[in-house]
Amino acid sequence: MSHPSEDELILHYYGEGGASPAVEAHLASCAACSQAFADLRADLSSVTEEPIPARGEEHGEKVWRDLQPRLRLRSVRRGPAVRWWAPAALAASLVAAFLVGRHFPAGGPSSAPIPEHARDRIFLVMVGDHLERSEMVLLEVANAEGSEPVDVRSAQESAENLVAANRLFRLSARRAGEPGVASVLDELERVLLEVAHGPSTQGPEARAQLRRRLEAGDILFKVRVLESTVRSKEKQMAAVPGTTS
Amino acid sequence: MKRMAGSDDDTETVAQARAGDADAFRRLVERHSRNVFHLAYRMTRNEHDAEDVVQEAFLKAYRSLDRFEERAHFGSWIYRIAANCAYDSLRARERRQENADPVAIDDTNNGPALELPSGEPAPDRLAFGGEVRRRVSLAMLRMSALERSAFTLRHFEGMSIEEIGRVLDLDASAAKQSVFRAVRKVREALGRDPGLRPTT
Repeated sequence: MSHPSEDELILHYYGEGGASPAVEAHLASCAACSQAFADLRADLSSVTEEPIPARGEEHGEKVWRDLQPRLRLRSVRRGPAVRWWAPAALAASLVAAFLVGRHFPAGGPSSAPIPEHARDRIFLVMVGDHLERSEMVLLEVANAEGSEPVDVRSAQESAENLVAANRLFRLSARRAGEPGVASVLDELERVLLEVAHGPSTQGPEARAQLRRRLEAGDILFKVRVLESTVRSKEKQMAAVPGTTS
Repeated sequence: MKRMAGSDDDTETVAQARAGDADAFRRLVERHSRNVFHLAYRMTRNEHDAEDVVQEAFLKAYRSLDRFEERAHFGSWIYRIAANCAYDSLRARERRQENADPVAIDDTNNGPALELPSGEPAPDRLAFGGEVRRRVSLAMLRMSALERSAFTLRHFEGMSIEEIGRVLDLDASAAKQSVFRAVRKVREALGRDPGLRPTT
């Protein structure tokens, strides 16, 4: 064979490719290539593993502790009695309550008004959950593994319901004078709509396209930041005495 | 490719977790979290990011348990998921840094910035493992997220190029080219001149 290229030598070093015996034979007969391969081997052999920070036996327990609250969402999603429309419907009623409270602060149409502080807190919890669910649905579609087309009908149904809730949250954000929040929700809604109304089976290219779309607008990052802000605000409200629900 | 331990015990535990037993999933997390962390750290070289990757990987695994093939090893499966999450993490970091000097930023964890060698290597200096390590670290910092992921999986994890392609959602050719580019960056950082090759 002719002199192997550097790329071929790299493959040979890693034991890749079917041409290795031919490369091996060439190296045995060509001093220059043999030297080139020795240099490559010396370079790559010098790349050794960095020390890894130690993690003790308790690491798994800590990971589980942090993970557990996030896993509860799955059981909610999969439980036979709870459907995706339920959060959307609940969101609708809470948004309605929120807006009514804002616009009819006293003597409004509600016969049993929720205290304003509690209402705001519940509203924040709902928004936080909505953002987390939206992120999960988008990631579920975008990060589905494998080279085969994936059936995304279940995610589409979820996205459809999230769109309905999102619209209400977006409306309330705008009315509450939060254009930044409304803008993030607007971006999120567009992507959810794309998923909801896209093909029910998505191949790797469609999934990669969705990933690129999410990355281009940093949508998931913005959603996470908003979720974190909302959760943090809710925690602050919970810390105020007399406001726990 | 490195395999994770515990696969014999995992079969039943995975089945229980798939049936909705949260405690079974907890056992899988506790059994595999350290190995997942090691992989995540090798790829991200950042402790905080690696812990985030561990969380994301187990979360993704939990959500995908229905798609887990019973005859597969949970350890290998979570390992591939973690590699993919680490790649995502590196890409996210890359995007955050795209308007900044990559060396200046990442050197917060790696000491003062180094200049790449412009001429012949200094073998006496390179003989010191610390200097080699610093140069390799610099090369890793100058790799794209894709190059770094592919190189780590090939060089440290012993994953085949075909498998790297599957994990990173690339065709084998793209995975191969990423490894090539990464190796060239390592060699440049070490001061070799890979262009000096006999002609055919």
